[in-house]
Amino acid sequence: MMPNSQDRDRATVQQTGSIRQDEWSQLLVAVGTQRNRAAFERLFAHYAPQIKGFQIKQGGRSDSYEAGEELVQEVMFRVWTRAPGYDPSRASANTWIYTIMRNCRVDALRRQACRPGLDEGLAVEDVWDEALDEQPLVYLQQYREQSSISAALGELPEEQSQVIEKAFVEGKSHQEISSELGLPLGTVKSRVRLGLKKLQGALAGKKSQEVKR
Amino acid sequence: MIEHHPDQNLLLEYANGSLPWAQALAVSAHIQMCPRCTQHLRQLNELGGALLDQSTASEPASDSWSRLMARVDSSEAESAAPATAEPPVAPRKISDPMLSGAPPVIRKLLHTNPPLHWQRVSRGLRAARLVTGQASSEVAFHRISCGAKVAEHDHRGQEITVVLYGSFSDADGVYSVGDFLVRQPGQVHRPTATQDQECLCLSVVEAPVAVTGLLGRLINPFLGIRPA
Repeated sequence: MMPNSQDRDRATVQQTGSIRQDEWSQLLVAVGTQRNRAAFERLFAHYAPQIKGFQIKQGGRSDSYEAGEELVQEVMFRVWTRAPGYDPSRASANTWIYTIMRNCRVDALRRQACRPGLDEGLAVEDVWDEALDEQPLVYLQQYREQSSISAALGELPEEQSQVIEKAFVEGKSHQEISSELGLPLGTVKSRVRLGLKKLQGALAGKKSQEVKR
Repeated sequence: MIEHHPDQNLLLEYANGSLPWAQALAVSAHIQMCPRCTQHLRQLNELGGALLDQSTASEPASDSWSRLMARVDSSEAESAAPATAEPPVAPRKISDPMLSGAPPVIRKLLHTNPPLHWQRVSRGLRAARLVTGQASSEVAFHRISCGAKVAEHDHRGQEITVVLYGSFSDADGVYSVGDFLVRQPGQVHRPTATQDQECLCLSVVEAPVAVTGLLGRLINPFLGIRPA
């Protein structure tokens, strides 16, 4: 990566990137820049039930109610502490909170799997960068509204939307999905690929283009 | 120009957090060098965000908000208190020119590791193991001398290679900085570094636990490279 590429990338975003105008992103900015608790309370009222619903769908186990509560606490706490780093031109509030939730899950799994005393290595954010701040940005993207992604998901054949939902909502690997559904691994992988291909239009937005640098 | 990328399935397993730590490290290193995969990852994250948005809401417990704010208040009181902790130790400078331009995740990994200990694996090939806090895969740097031909070999577990410096080639192609390769066990290859430059790669090899058991692997980790 060239030196200063990040500075240049940020400048590019400010000049040409589309700033997310949706309500939740604005509230998140208010939390980040003003430490506004009223805005945070509105975010909590909206996202806490979504996060808990996500977690409950994952397990259906008897402990999933508890796990859902814990996940809400952890995710929303991180939302509060990390909101100053939120950049609405890089991600919608939904997407940013999704990545925080994913990292909380990775953290929880890692704590279970790790030998004690190994916490001093890389943090989950080093490996799963929430803000994608370290990444070069050479594509301009006109983000589609998230509702158009949801609509496109609704049009997928059931067998494709099922595996994609399991992957994101339940956080499962292809192998886990394959065991759970009793399908060959290759079938799961190809359904995921086919589904993603069909979602491509909604995900990329039509105005996405490569910037010459 | 990066020519070899992780496939959609691997990127999705990175985006949903289900990829094991060591493999995620390799994907992360690639993404930090690759605008194309960064863009794909952004799209996958957007998909995650859309699914979060349409999840069936489930009301949190009645004391959920007050518990959260109690934690927020106590953490803010803590951070407002005068710091008593020692100032953070400045990270060791990375003197190796092959690593100073490595992506951020690799530089951070170096800072959390003891100084690298290079071991000769075979003629023209040296390796240094990295500590990542997990045991399911072996993570190492491999360094091929200018123009050296590595002995033809096979891997016992799936191997991911990310080129961090220089370039190498094998019968299937030429791989340069940022390229991401997956080799399945049984895929024999013989990498050769380019004549004028050393080559440095990150390599992540799945532990072949079923074959030798954990102990054998710990005693001689570089048995992972064996002549075919």
